[in-house]
Amino acid sequence: MGFWWRFNLLVFTIAILSTPVLSDLILSKVDRRIDLTSQIVRITSTLKVENAGSGLVSEVLLAFPELQAKNLVYLMATTNEGKGKTKSSGVSLPVEVANPKGMPPALTVYSVSLPKALGEGDTMSLDVLAVFTHTLKPFPEKITQADIQLVLFQDSAYYLSPYAVKFQSLSIKLPDARIESYTKIENTKIHGSEIKYGPYENLPPFSYSPLVVHFEINQPFAVAQELVREIEVSHWGNVQVTEHCNIVHEGAKSEGEFSRLEYQARPHIRGSSAIRHFVAKLPPRAHSIYYRDEIGNISTSHLWADSKKTELLIEPRYPMFGGWRTAFIIGYSLPLQDFLFESEGKRFLNISFASPINDLVIDNLVVKVVLPEGSRDLSVSTPFPVKQRQESKISHLDVVGRPVIVLEKADVVPEHNQYFQIHYSFNKLSMLREPFMLISGFFFLFVACIVYVHVDLSISKSSASYLAKLQWDEVRATIQQVESIINQCLATHEKIEASLRDLSRIGDVQACKTTRKTADGLLKEHSKELKPLLAFLQSSPAAANILPKVEELVAKERELQERWMAKHSIIVDCYEKKLGGREIENRVAPQQQKVVALRQEVEDLLEYIDEI
Amino acid sequence: MAPKPITSPVPDTCYPTLAVSMLAIGLLFTAYFFVYEATSSRRNRSLAKELTTGAVASFFLGFGSLFLLLASGVYV
Repeated sequence: MGFWWRFNLLVFTIAILSTPVLSDLILSKVDRRIDLTSQIVRITSTLKVENAGSGLVSEVLLAFPELQAKNLVYLMATTNEGKGKTKSSGVSLPVEVANPKGMPPALTVYSVSLPKALGEGDTMSLDVLAVFTHTLKPFPEKITQADIQLVLFQDSAYYLSPYAVKFQSLSIKLPDARIESYTKIENTKIHGSEIKYGPYENLPPFSYSPLVVHFEINQPFAVAQELVREIEVSHWGNVQVTEHCNIVHEGAKSEGEFSRLEYQARPHIRGSSAIRHFVAKLPPRAHSIYYRDEIGNISTSHLWADSKKTELLIEPRYPMFGGWRTAFIIGYSLPLQDFLFESEGKRFLNISFASPINDLVIDNLVVKVVLPEGSRDLSVSTPFPVKQRQESKISHLDVVGRPVIVLEKADVVPEHNQYFQIHYSFNKLSMLREPFMLISGFFFLFVACIVYVHVDLSISKSSASYLAKLQWDEVRATIQQVESIINQCLATHEKIEASLRDLSRIGDVQACKTTRKTADGLLKEHSKELKPLLAFLQSSPAAANILPKVEELVAKERELQERWMAKHSIIVDCYEKKLGGREIENRVAPQQQKVVALRQEVEDLLEYIDEI
Repeated sequence: MAPKPITSPVPDTCYPTLAVSMLAIGLLFTAYFFVYEATSSRRNRSLAKELTTGAVASFFLGFGSLFLLLASGVYV
């Protein structure tokens, strides 16, 4: 271990000492294209790097003047490995800020690490994309509604590099509009909206030739000073995205008055510099989309959806001229299965970082990812460095709050709209927290009712009305018991009736007799149970009103019982004497009538008592 | 192992049906509970019966209202 460390240190020291300041490399060909068609300036450079020295070189330096470097928001270097048919698509290389000695202080230098070191005479092709914001300066700075917007762009006509450049060319693409002026040096050509500089040959390191282009641009200069995206994951099948946008038009400031009439009549002449609408490309299958601000819903939006994307066109409440600002919120729901995945026991969210609004520069982007309650072991992987912190948020049906990961990044352009991942672990049972909250809420309600009904809440325990109420409760309980016994008796009667029916069908006298015996036993028991209840009712003054009815009920029931028994005896007797059907009917008829009448009376009485 | 997409345990097209049916069952049990509370007298009321009816009713009402929230777009 120690040996390797020392050895590495040695190699490193030698490497540093033997890097003869930047002169080993030369750029055999540089092709630069500057895209000025929108507020975001994109410079694509194709470099052909050649090692003219003898040592190995593993990094290439890119230099930017300080003025440009402070607006540089995105820098990516890719290399196309292989040649001819096997040429693969770009592999991006690590880029970092470097401060080698011997550099002019007004330059910011980035170093690109090459995948493999270049030997003597080796060449390699490198594509560098640099994106700048706030680089186009409006000139004049203030315009009226009817004026067109003119901007200035400054750069160097020669490729600014610490290496000698053998052969280079530059082309600047402008929007299809007026070109006010541009710097003319040797080999300058113009084709429509494209200005070409070069080719220039054999320029020494740090060659610089200022270049200014003054041209008309009517693209929106929409800058979001702050944009907060909130992504809320619900395991019940939804990812909710809410974007709070605070947008300002950072083109030439508007001066003078704004005439809605003129704007409405000829919007392209009297308001060419205004932002009319924004287009947001939402993911496919987005639904429940809304667009509102503090006042309420904004109705000027249009939506197109197909299987590949959902396109939302939103118009602000007013056309936005230079310096004007607006704030709004857009929100949409996404299906869970498109963005949340499981791998090796952990779940991860895979969603794009920047705002879906086209051509928007975001000065300060805050992405908040709200994970369901119960998520643990959070970790973030982003394709570029971001500031991150954690907080928690209390939302619907939460106890301890949901974990929130907050990612912050300054200067975000559409190039940053890449996917990032948040890994976390989650126990499936935690999904039952929300229903459990609801269930326990309802259950507490029921328990409260039970307690209310059971607890005696009267203040004075000795007042007459309270005692009367207690007595009445007891009477009611007793009456309910009486009723249930009478109902049992009636059920026994039914049994006897059923046995008689069986007798007429099958003629089994013996079975009928045993039924009778058990019924007799049951009825006797019931009448025994009734006695103490009746005695209580007779002794209780609260039951005075209802007592006659109860006694009548008991008496009627007993009579009914007797009739049944009589009927039963007659029929069994007849069967034993083997009398004919008609004879039986004649004998039973008077009993039968009584039975029906009594039964009706008993039922009426039961109903009457029940209502009390 | 390729990442596996995660879906909701209950397909979200079922939410409205589940909400209506479970709430209906829950309300029936609630009604039974209150009828029992109001009609039975203090002496022959059974606590176990009250608690079981209440628990069953709150189970159905709890899940019913969860699905009602989900169906109306409040993803908890």
